[in-house]
Amino acid sequence: MAATMYAGCVRRLLFSCNSQCLNTGASAHLSGFKSAYSLDKLYPGSNLSFTASVPAPSNDKGFSGYIPIKELEISYSRSGGPGGQNVNKLNTKVDVRFHVATASWLPQEAKDGLLQKYRSRISRDGYLLVRSERTRSQHLNIADALDRIRYLVTDVLQKPKEASPESIEKHRRLHERATRERLREKRHRSAMKRQNTVDL
Amino acid sequence: MASRAGQEKALRLLRHLPRVALNNIDHPNPKPASRRKRGAHGGDTHGAGDKGSKARQHFARAGFEGGQTPFYIRIPREDPYKGHHLRREYPPVSLHQLQLMVDTDRVDAGRQIDLTQICNSGLFRLEPLRRQFGFQLTDEGMDEFVTPVNLEVQWASERVIAAVERAGGTITTAFYDMASLQAMVDPERFFKRGVPIPRRALPPQDAVGYYTDPSTRGYLADPEQVARHRLTLAQKYGYELPKVKEGPLTERKDPRQIFFGLEPGWLVNLTDKQVWRVKDPVMSEYFRS
Repeated sequence: MAATMYAGCVRRLLFSCNSQCLNTGASAHLSGFKSAYSLDKLYPGSNLSFTASVPAPSNDKGFSGYIPIKELEISYSRSGGPGGQNVNKLNTKVDVRFHVATASWLPQEAKDGLLQKYRSRISRDGYLLVRSERTRSQHLNIADALDRIRYLVTDVLQKPKEASPESIEKHRRLHERATRERLREKRHRSAMKRQNTVDL
Repeated sequence: MASRAGQEKALRLLRHLPRVALNNIDHPNPKPASRRKRGAHGGDTHGAGDKGSKARQHFARAGFEGGQTPFYIRIPREDPYKGHHLRREYPPVSLHQLQLMVDTDRVDAGRQIDLTQICNSGLFRLEPLRRQFGFQLTDEGMDEFVTPVNLEVQWASERVIAAVERAGGTITTAFYDMASLQAMVDPERFFKRGVPIPRRALPPQDAVGYYTDPSTRGYLADPEQVARHRLTLAQKYGYELPKVKEGPLTERKDPRQIFFGLEPGWLVNLTDKQVWRVKDPVMSEYFRS
């Protein structure tokens, strides 16, 4: 059996495999081991880097849900309510604001919709504000605030459903019937009142 | 009256026979096994006689519903402890504890922090024989976790993965079978046994879904899908995904590997400070498969 000599103690052997040893082919015994289940064999067509940068989806054809975090202004403050030392010391409340008119990631339709429907959330400067102090964790509150922003945008971009001609006709008929009934009762009431008055 | 010879024979026998007891003599059994009065001739009054308070107040057994299938028989049983001896456990390590370990130099953040590193810190003990299959990372301290680390745990929730990646690190969830765990938990003790490094087994059927899923950063998942999910998670939790360079933060073991730099089948000789490789082609092929 061929023996390979190792200098140094075992601990070093186990925990000092720096990336240089793994990447160069010089020390063959330290090169990356590949079994039959290595990832390049399981996924032959894949780019094997799991930290590769993925291109951000575009918001041109409608809102994809992507929000560039750089363009948001996130500020932190202390939450209200009970909670003792935790609520007094930690900045768990999150304010997320962005300028609606100049947001590059929003389609124009969404901007118009937000300015109209969610006027009350928009400041005089034109900044949409979303607050969250839902959880005890700052990071979960950021997630909640972003979720809320995405909800607002999708809500505003939602087109109302068009009613079918049959249902329009049905509603017209029912409305007419209700009006007829209402007027009939009104006439009856008025006649009864006239009948019950005494002409002095 | 027996003859003298007969008496002596009897006495001789008595010395060797077992002691007289109720189970080796003929005696009437005064307490027959109690049986419930059932149908036919055990039916009608069911042993209660006719009328009287005894017949009327001898209530049926608890749960009896006049013959209707009783509730305690009608409802199916649920065994809360069924298979408990087969369930895998993952003792927790919080992000707060991990940050503390990194700050106080109990673990080396320059290399992958895996099961062995956590056990070697001396702060956590894993007992594979008690069905403990590794560590799970909990979210306590997720707001204060700031060090970029290369982590390998056995289970982590979504918010924990987000916390690690937000800090600029990477996390992988990996499975180790019993033999591999015993080697990992105390490598020095394992090498002293003089046994070749085992080949790590693949996860069992109920765990394959978890470890092949990119959203849980499974070690058997497609790396491209993992990269895509990193962006999705960053979008969900509202942080800019930091760029991670290929290097100490991205090194990973092969799915069959237990120790970095050591292959399955190799034999580590601590006394002579040697590592012995496999030469036999059949064995070599087995360890590489």
